[in-house]
Amino acid sequence: MTAVSLANVTKVFNQGRPDEVTALSGINLVIGAGRFVSLIGPSGCGKSTLLRLIADLIPASSGTVEVAGKPATKARLDQEYGIAFQQAGLFEWRTVQRNVELPLELRGASRAERKARAAEMLALVGLADFAGHYPAQLSGGMQQRVAIARALAVHPPLLLMDEPFGALDEMTRERLQSELLAICAKTGTSTVFVTHSISEAVFLSDQVVVMSPRPGRITATIDVDLPSRDDAARQSPAYFDAITAVRRSLRGSDAAPDTATARDADAARGAGAVAAPSSRTPGPVSDAATAP
Amino acid sequence: MRRVLSALAGLVALIALWEGYKAVGNPDGTVLLGVRVLPRADDLSMPHVSEMLSRLGRPELTGGRPVWQVVLSASLFTLGITTVGFLVGAVVGLLLAVAMQRFRIIERGLLPYVILSQTVPLVALAPLIAGWSGTIWPAWMTVAVIAAYLAFFPVAVGMLRGLQSPQAAGVELMRSYAAGWWRTLVKLRLPASLPYLFPALRLAGAAAVVGAVVGEISTGTRGGIGRLIIEYSREATSDPAKVYTAMLGAALLGLVVAALVTLLELPLMRHRRRVSVVTM
Repeated sequence: MTAVSLANVTKVFNQGRPDEVTALSGINLVIGAGRFVSLIGPSGCGKSTLLRLIADLIPASSGTVEVAGKPATKARLDQEYGIAFQQAGLFEWRTVQRNVELPLELRGASRAERKARAAEMLALVGLADFAGHYPAQLSGGMQQRVAIARALAVHPPLLLMDEPFGALDEMTRERLQSELLAICAKTGTSTVFVTHSISEAVFLSDQVVVMSPRPGRITATIDVDLPSRDDAARQSPAYFDAITAVRRSLRGSDAAPDTATARDADAARGAGAVAAPSSRTPGPVSDAATAP
Repeated sequence: MRRVLSALAGLVALIALWEGYKAVGNPDGTVLLGVRVLPRADDLSMPHVSEMLSRLGRPELTGGRPVWQVVLSASLFTLGITTVGFLVGAVVGLLLAVAMQRFRIIERGLLPYVILSQTVPLVALAPLIAGWSGTIWPAWMTVAVIAAYLAFFPVAVGMLRGLQSPQAAGVELMRSYAAGWWRTLVKLRLPASLPYLFPALRLAGAAAVVGAVVGEISTGTRGGIGRLIIEYSREATSDPAKVYTAMLGAALLGLVVAALVTLLELPLMRHRRRVSVVTM
């Protein structure tokens, strides 16, 4: 069973005009059910565009996009996925509970069902006590958790996330990563996760899809096999190996850095991040962005 | 409580300014190089506040009703016209905004005319609309149309802004829920536009009062506060305090309309008032 399948997908913005941009070209990707897949790449590589194609928020210029075995449009109309963005995007005039209820409301669920489901979801993200609060009363991390609860409210088989933790501080981000993994394991949801943090991609994913810009394309898919997904995993050799592999793919084959040196640097960075999360951790990201 | 006190303080300051200028100002006004730069401060131009208030208690004409009763009933008459004009204007403005949000081409085609409509002098327009009355509708309705003509504008512009205010993420979210235009309007755009709607409604309320008062004057409609201002101002030389009683009525009318809009706002904007942020 495949959750998402893309075949020969291209996306061209402003086709036929002087400002034509080829955002994606020749994308082939199959994501198995229950898998956690990250899309990573520098800015402008089309990873968010790819996510929007899967979500059918924008149409593909050519190729086929299938979600849960149906064309993407059909899947969207059937609400086969839940989506969360970098900005929580909660409706400020609705309480937390009513925000989570929104997708159920649009599906025509009964009042009792909505209430029960919202309570279940809020318990899942640890915000059961905040059902009556308004979004403006919550911190950024809590708002993002509400957004995740909202995305999961209809029990979708697929969860699409566009840099959902990008605006959060490192401590909150790591806590939410663990929570997200626990939720996905519990619900069996397949996940496509857009990020530009190498460590985040590796820690969360079964598979990291590396993309490169102009035109956006997939340059490598790296399978990650961590023994566990907890704080110990963040210091395991498998974790650092995967980080090195992703970084090397991001830099492209022509860069070919000295493996040992790269790995030592990663180890130092990774350990630092666990012991004292700080502004140093975006390091790998900027490395990737400025890579030739 | 605090707001009531500060409002009272503002009123006291205004009276103090009036009476203060009266006390120190030149009764014939200050003239500089042949141009009067400060107004006359004599009793004819600036009657005492106490004189205005006591005028309210005395009869309008010898043996007639006291002025306060006349002003009050005229204000109520104009309040009725204002309310009708305000409601019609708000509904028209709302519909225009929704249409402009829905169809880009309507926005591009209509918005310039919406703005143009407010540059046409009301005084020129009023007699034109007045020509319609007498046949199918009463004269007061003409005045209400003029009030609506002024009131629709802030609502149309403010509401359009509000309907366009949701961020792309919100719109995409609704799309991901397979919600069409109508449900996106009801669940996202309308609630998101409320913070823009209420200031617009407040402006529309003020505009409707102005429209009703000016409309009454320029169409010669009897019974309202606008007409009363004109009538009383003709007596300004013999009875200067009288016209101020009518203006007091017009000011009161504006306050009542503003208060009505606030009453509408309170239950709908509840989420705006609780702002203490929980951090954990």
